[in-house]
Order: sequence, then C-alpha cells, then structure tokens
Amino acid sequence: MRVSLNWLKELIDITMPVDELAHQLTMLGLEIESVERPGEEIREVYVGQIVSIEPHPDADKLVVCKTDVGGAEPITIVCGAKNMKAGDKVPTAVVGASLPGGFEIGKRKMRGIESQGMMCSARELGMGEEHAGLLILDPATKVGESILPVLGLDDIIVEIEVTPNRGDWAGMIGVARELSALLKTPYRVPETGLIESGRPASELSSVTIENPDLCPRYIGRVLTNVKIGPSPDWMARRLTQAGMRPINNIVDVTNYVLLETGHPLHAFDYDKLSENRIVVRTARAGETMKTLDGELRTLNPDMLVIADAKDPVAVAGVMGGLDSEVGETTTNLFLESAYFLPASVRKTARTLALVTEASQRFQRGADPVMARYAVDRAAALMREVAGGEVAPGAIDAHPKPMGAIEVSLRYDRTALLLGAEVDHAEQRDILKRLGFEILEAGDTSFSVRVPTWRHDVRLEADLIEEVARLHGYGNIPERVPAVRPMDTKIAPEETALQRLREYLVSMGLTETMNMSFSSYDELKRARLDGEMVTLQNPLAETQSTMRSSLIPGLLSTVSLNVRRGNHNLAVFEVGPVYHPKAGETLPEQEARATVVLSGYGVDKHWSRPLQPLDFYDIKGYAEAVLDFFGLTPAFAPLDSPTFTADQSGSVEVDGRRVGILGRVTDAVLKAFDIEQPVYMLELHLKSILSAQAAAAQFEAIPKFPSSMRDLAVLVDAEVPAGTLLDTAKRSGGKLLKRVKIFDIYTGKQVPAGKKSVALGLVFQSEERTLTDADTQGASDAILAELRKEHGAQLR
Amino acid sequence: MKDKIEQIRDQVLGEIAKVSGLKDLEDIRVRILGRKGELTEVLRGLSILPEDVRREMGKVSNDVKNAVSQALDLRKTELEDQKPASTAPRVDLSLPGRRPARGRMHPIPKVTAEVVDIFRELGFQVATGPDIETEYYNFDSLNTPADHPARDSHDTFFVRPGVVLRTQTSPVQMRVMESTPPPVAIVAPGRVYRVDADASHSPMFYQIEGLLVDQGVSFADLKGTLLHFITRFFGPDTRLRFRPHFFPFTEPSAEVDVSCTICKGSGCRVCKHSGWLEILGCGMVHPKVFQYAGYDSEKYTGFAFGFGIDRITMLRHAIPSIHHIYENDVRFLEQL
Repeated sequence: MRVSLNWLKELIDITMPVDELAHQLTMLGLEIESVERPGEEIREVYVGQIVSIEPHPDADKLVVCKTDVGGAEPITIVCGAKNMKAGDKVPTAVVGASLPGGFEIGKRKMRGIESQGMMCSARELGMGEEHAGLLILDPATKVGESILPVLGLDDIIVEIEVTPNRGDWAGMIGVARELSALLKTPYRVPETGLIESGRPASELSSVTIENPDLCPRYIGRVLTNVKIGPSPDWMARRLTQAGMRPINNIVDVTNYVLLETGHPLHAFDYDKLSENRIVVRTARAGETMKTLDGELRTLNPDMLVIADAKDPVAVAGVMGGLDSEVGETTTNLFLESAYFLPASVRKTARTLALVTEASQRFQRGADPVMARYAVDRAAALMREVAGGEVAPGAIDAHPKPMGAIEVSLRYDRTALLLGAEVDHAEQRDILKRLGFEILEAGDTSFSVRVPTWRHDVRLEADLIEEVARLHGYGNIPERVPAVRPMDTKIAPEETALQRLREYLVSMGLTETMNMSFSSYDELKRARLDGEMVTLQNPLAETQSTMRSSLIPGLLSTVSLNVRRGNHNLAVFEVGPVYHPKAGETLPEQEARATVVLSGYGVDKHWSRPLQPLDFYDIKGYAEAVLDFFGLTPAFAPLDSPTFTADQSGSVEVDGRRVGILGRVTDAVLKAFDIEQPVYMLELHLKSILSAQAAAAQFEAIPKFPSSMRDLAVLVDAEVPAGTLLDTAKRSGGKLLKRVKIFDIYTGKQVPAGKKSVALGLVFQSEERTLTDADTQGASDAILAELRKEHGAQLR
Repeated sequence: MKDKIEQIRDQVLGEIAKVSGLKDLEDIRVRILGRKGELTEVLRGLSILPEDVRREMGKVSNDVKNAVSQALDLRKTELEDQKPASTAPRVDLSLPGRRPARGRMHPIPKVTAEVVDIFRELGFQVATGPDIETEYYNFDSLNTPADHPARDSHDTFFVRPGVVLRTQTSPVQMRVMESTPPPVAIVAPGRVYRVDADASHSPMFYQIEGLLVDQGVSFADLKGTLLHFITRFFGPDTRLRFRPHFFPFTEPSAEVDVSCTICKGSGCRVCKHSGWLEILGCGMVHPKVFQYAGYDSEKYTGFAFGFGIDRITMLRHAIPSIHHIYENDVRFLEQL
C-alpha cells in the first residue's frame, strides 16, 4: 500500500516529520518498505507561461521562447520541444534551479542565443518516462507558483506492507484510523455530499443473491447520462502515486475510492447487462467468461460470479468481465459494492491464478459497513467528474448481516501473557481508541464489541495483542526464564550427527551441503535406481524429485569443482535422503554420510611425492567412521553399476548392509563430465546408529611383556588376505593378542598366480613372561592352520 | 691450616672456571674431593687437632668442600649445555611443516551448532521433524487453514494434495507438543522449502524454530530469551527491536530487528540505511495451536520463534549471496 502523505494529512492532522511517522507506523505493525520523496531534488522550478515562440535564427530544430515566470520580464529560453503553443503553462526551471539526478540549470548559449532556463518534460521532473514534449499544465495554475505543489511533487509516498490479517490497512481511511488510535487525534472521513435525482434505482435495476453465504451483502447504485473522459489531474495523480494507471473517469473513481476506503468497487456498463439486473450466483459447470485482461476464463461451480439475467459479467471479488466493461460509449452505470466471503474469493483467485487489487482486499476481509459508504462516495465523485445523475436510493441486498462479535478480556490475563502490568484504564482506553466499543467493565475483566473492519480479532489473546501494540512492545520488560527440563530426550541422533561431522572434519575432510532436490535423470546418470519422492510443482526439471542418495548430488559437486580447477577433493556430506514408503502418508527420511575422494585428495607437500588415491583410502574412512561408533565392519563384494566391479564393496555390520563404497565407473564419471578417478563411500547412519555398540568396558592393562613374530606366507593370489587373518585369530589360541597384515607382495620373487602375505603376530600372556618356545609353538600352530585352510607356504 | 684450605679452594675454583672438557672436570673432582683427594686428606688430618680448633677447621673445610662441589656441578651443566658444532645444515624455518589436512565444517551446520549451544545453556534441547510434511502439521494445526491468506505467501512445494515440503520449521512445534506434556523447551533446526528462486532466494534454506511452553511463560520471557541469544551471537552491543507483526500461530506476534551488524546502526547498504536488520519472527503461542496440541491454554502459555540460519550465517561471514552456500565450491567452503 503506497500512502501519499498529503492525502493522509487530509484525513488526520500529522505534525511530526515523516521519518518519525514512518518509525511510529513501523512500531505499530505497519512495516514501512520505503519512503519516497519525488520532489526532493527539485528547486527553483515554477509555473511558467509561454508568451511567444520564435524560430531560432541559426538552428532549424530549436525555437526561442519568451516565458513569463512571474518576474518583471519574461525570460528567454531556447527549446527543442514541439508540442507547445504560446499561452501554454509549463514547468520552467530558472537559472540556479536543480532537477532530479543532480542536474543544475545555468545560463547557456545555444547557437548564439543565451538561454536563461529550461522548460521541462515529465521525465525531467522525475515523473515517469514521458519525454516527447513539454509537460503542459492545467491552464488554471498560477504563473510564478512553485511547481512542487502543482504537480504533487511536494508529497511524500510511504509504502506500507499490509499483513494478511489487516485488510483494513489497505485503505487511506484505515491507516488514518490506526494513526488516530496511536496519536489520540481524531480522523476525518470525507462527506459524500451525494446528490440524487431522476428515477429511483429500484425501478432501474435489481439484485438477486442466490448464495447469501458467499455474498452476505451486495449494494448497487445506478448512474445515468455520465460522460466518459479523462480524470481530473488531482485524481489521476493520486492513482499514479499509488502505482495505478489512470484509465477513465469512472474506472478511476472506483480505484480512487478503493485506495481511500480499502473497499473494492466495480462499475458495469448498465446497458450491457441483460435485463439491466444483477444475479449473484455460483458459476455453472463449463461456463466461460472473458475477464478484463482479455483472457477467456473457464469457471466452475465453486466460483461465485456476478451475472446479469443470462451470463456471468464478473468473477465475484476478483475481476470484471470484458463485455460489460465501461468504455467510451458508456452512458449509464451500474455500480457494485459488496462483501464477499474471504475464503471463497481466495479459492477462486487461486484457481484462476488471478491476483488483483480487489481479490487481495476481499480475501483479507472487507468491511461490510464501509461497503455502503464506499458506494455513496463513489457515486458522488462520479457525478462530480463525469456528470450525469445518481438514481435515488441504493439497492442494498443484505440477506446475512454479520452478527456483532463480542470478546472479553481479563486484566490478569494481560499481565500473565505480557509479563507486564498495563494499567486497567489504559487497556480499556487503547481498545476504545481502536474503535472497539466497551460493553461491560467489571473489576477483573471487561468486554468489547469488535469493529466491523477487524476480522482478525476473535479471542482474548487478540485483544491482548492490541493492548500490547498500543502500549508499545518496547515497554514490555525483558526477563530470561528459568527453563524446566523436559521429561524426554527428543532427538538423540542429532548429537551423533554433529559429532560425526566434527570427526570427519578432524580427519581433513571438508563438508559440502547439497539441496535436497534431485531428478530421475541425475539418479540414472549415477546408475542408481529406485523410486523417488516426486514434486508436483518443481522449479526445474533438475529439481523435480527429492534425493534418495547423496551420491548423485556429490558427483555433481565433484563435477563443478573439477571444472573450476579444484582437482584435489576430500569432501563429505551428512544429510537426509527420502524414500517413498508404500501405505504411509509420509516418505521415509534417513540421514546418510557420504565421503568423496578425488584427484590426490590433498595438495602436494614439498617434501615427498604425491601418493595417488586408491580404493584403500576410501575404505579407511569406512573403517574409521564405523570405529568411531564402536563398530567393526565387514566388507563383502558389491554388485553395483555405480562402482567398478573390481574396486567396490558393501559395508556390513552384523550381516546387515550399512553402506557401499568403491571407485566410480568411467561411464558414471562421463555422465557427470568428470575426467579423474572418484572414490565414494555412502553410509546409512540410521542403521549404524541403531547398531551402535554399548559403552566399551575396561580391560586390564597387561603386566607382562609381549613377543612379536612375523610370518610371511605364499598363497594363491585370489585368496582374500582377510581370511588369513581370520584363520590366524582362530588358531592362535589365547596367547595371540593381535594380528595384522603388514605387507602384501606380488612380483619377481613370487611365483605367478601367488602372492606373499606378511602377518605381524603379537603374543602375550596375562600370567607370565612368554618364552621363545611359547611363541614358537603358537606361531607354528597358526602356520599349520594357514597351510591346511589356504595352502599357505612359508616364504 | 686455614690458609692451606683456602689456598686449595682459590686454586681449584680458578681451575674449574678454565676447564673446557667434562673429562678434565671429573679429574679435578677426583683430585680434590676423591677418596685420596687433597681436601679429603686435609680433613683426615683434622683428627689430631685439639677439640676447639678441630671444630673451627671442620666448618671451614666443609664450606670449601661445598663451594667446590657446587662450582663443579655448575660448570658441568655449563659444559653439557654447550652444543657441539654441527656439520649438518640448519632446518629451513620458512618451509611449511607437514601438517595434518584441515577440513572445514559447512557454515550452516557450524552456525547451527553455535546457535543450539546458546539455547542448550538455557535449558532447551534439540528436536527435529520430517522435511516432507503433511499440510496438517505445516499449516492447519498451526492455525493456518486452507482459506487463510497467509498461505499465499508461502509458495509451497507439493508432493501430492495434503503432503508438502515444509515451508517452515514450525510443524516441529506441533509434533513435539503432541508427543510430550509440558514443560516443552526445544529448538528445531532444519531444512525448509519455498517455491522461490532468484538472486536472494534459494528454494531450500535452513531455519531454526524455538518453543517454550510452561506455566506463566510471558512475552517478557520471550524478549529476555531472544535478547540473550542475539547478544551472545552477534555481540553484547547488539540492540533489539520488537515490532508488532502477524503470524497465524502466535498472538501477540512480533518481528525482531537487530541493530545492523555491519554498520552498527548508523545506516549502510546492507540495512538499506535503516540501521536495522529484520531477522526473526516470534510471538506467544496462539490458543488455537494449543487446542490442536491438546494443551490447556488456560493453564499453559508459551512463546515460539523462528529465524533463518542462512540469513544470520550470511550476516556473520559477510557472504554476499545465498547461492554460495549450496553451490559447494570448495574455495568457498575452505574460507570459513
């Protein structure tokens, strides 16, 4: 809502500076989006009257004018415009003047003749784009007067955000009324001064309401013999300032009154209404109508329409019809002012995807009482600017008057909810100033009647907000509450996820965060499958589903970074994925953690060569994360088209898959436009957190020294090294404390098809220091078992 | 006798000062203090002296012995600390060390953790809810029925009728209240979605919701809690301004401005020369919301608030566009 300060001042006395006013409105809940001062930079520009126009002796395109600006002598101005004639009044900038954009006017010689000023176009005064010629002023303006009040450039436009609960703020009277409550100053509603004549309206038209629930009140007025033409300057200017385009005097009056009262009106061409009458009804199935914007709209029986005896002529509360539009040939009018059910207007506007000034106001709730004032005010203004006669009487169909709404307020409830004591008399006074009628006032409470424009006030809490608002939020004290602990722990997994993030970061990984969106195309490019949650109204095809894995998004992340020259990547993401769940309203949401390594992972250090990444780098992260949660994973072969067959695996805990890892295939890399190897690990955190081990228990620190033995054996190349470890653990007896693989070797000294696996064995007893014989015996037992189970030979 | 002892002392102390090797020092120790050392010999000779002389000489000898012993120890430490002349070249102090790689947490979880910590100290705990949510939880139960104009401003993503991507973290309020009796003190960070994408909007962003419900919770508590949070997060000089506003699920409702974190309130481009930044919406829980939750609104009152984590992250780190946050260029991620 763009509020003209000059207009507002007609409705209420305002003495404070505009910045203070803007602040006060903001603190009242009318948030100020901007304050425009259109004439701020204009100085020394006056109403000038062109006395004479002579051709320039040395320039075909210029003329030399004598212009009277109220001084002793007319001034000489050399000018290039063509649209003026002697006697015209135009905005004239004299020497020393300044114009918007910091443009200063000085004496200037133009082709040998000194120009002592400039006559201005609309654009030169910052009023729109019109620059074809000079701005010709109303002949009634006074020569020598400052141009600012003449063109309304002395005005200030304050743009207010109207919250959805306060439809009443969408009009000048509503803003004035609110200010009046704040400033304790009365506001003024203009007298309608309506003069009626001719045949009564009831003889000229009628209104039938078929759906009183959707249209509790419909008022019509009839005007005859009006003359369509442009609006007077003052009205056109106010519409322009408010961001509306002047159209003709009739349409402009409906818009002017809309701005003034906040109440939408519509004028029909009376002669284009079949039988000259109005029927308010729902649309018939398949019924169509061309709206004012030229679109053919298909209506449905949920929509309320304004019809004549035959067809719809307007979508109720949203937009008028093209066929009954007021145009140049219109002479008689039917003027509508109604109250439509907000929910109905909102639904219709949404279905038609048609948001208009009218629909926005109706869906916030119009004021059924203001409807009557608005129609009378508009009729009077129309008569003033378009002539004709206003038929006596309004056709006021009011089948469902709104009942009075009464709410009561307990003083101690105000104190409790606000945490502040507000004087009882002040509470009553605030509500009274806001237009609430005090009905009963007792010692502990009072009740009020809610004004017809306050659809947002229905409960005690609503009244307390009014008290708080006018008392001032700033006057409520601050207090830090003593919070009592809750009975239950709400989201324990959040703590675990945060700890995991910190752990991964501590290992040198950088965290990325992709949006939750994906697409079947992206999923397919990653060679993943499965159903995804699909959006009905995505912003883009690439964001048409909710991701079911973090892998595709991270491949896109790798692609973006590699293309930008960030080749060494060691990153991760922890975040939700979504899977449709048959028979459930909501999909399943679970957290995953995905680690990506690509390039060298790290930057080269000066002291040593870079080690290319391989599968065991990514596997290490799987082991580390699982270990972080106290779990020991097993790894099994994985059949996944995302990862190469020879470098991939499934991560398992207690026989259940908790993740996958591997080297991404070339086909997938190509689909993501990546030209370097990528290793990925995706872990299902839900499974991991649910399998999380109990707190580790203390084990005694060994008192006796350990002995170490190395055992290098040859086995067939395809024997998994891990199975040797398993065998060793099983056969090592209770003396074997640890075993690990410290070398794998294939090459010259090893026969083809074989590999050498070196095991490091650690033996220890809890009772004594081991002898060589103890260690040797245990080591031999392991070797024998390795030989038996895996055909291992000692190297 | 006394002269002799003191003579030994002066001579030995002179020698100790000149000694340049540990070996020579040890020789001196043996020569003077050893079993057959000069001083030892002198002390041994004391026994033949008369009682009173012996006592005096004994004291003198002991003092000298201690002085020599101390000088020896001191000189030994000095000689040990003398570094041998190295033949290897000195390390290049200007070369970077082999430091473990440093990862970075994404700014959103980082700031979220910081915010959550502040509220945890006050006694709030973290709650979560699903990103894909029913219209009931996202709107209806928050006093935003289907015909409510407030729904227009939300630009909701739909999965199917009745199921949406949550437009706010507020549905977590309802889920928590349904599952647990008062008192409730939660903060709920999470992803939210709006059909909105331009220079300053992302279709997905992060919000955090707060809710306190108990007997006697007031607007003053809300103001105090948020003042505590804001001054903790943005610094003690930050000022707050509560303005009336409208939210369907709170009454009274407020928007909160903080004094501009860039210009400290004097007016700059970021705050559009107002000196204030709008960062937060809040209010007292609407009685109808309590009704949906099955709480007695006569007995319990509460406050709720919500704000964008992206917004405060961008303010904190002077990030010019929200698009950096979800683009994942590592050159951005490694800055913060």
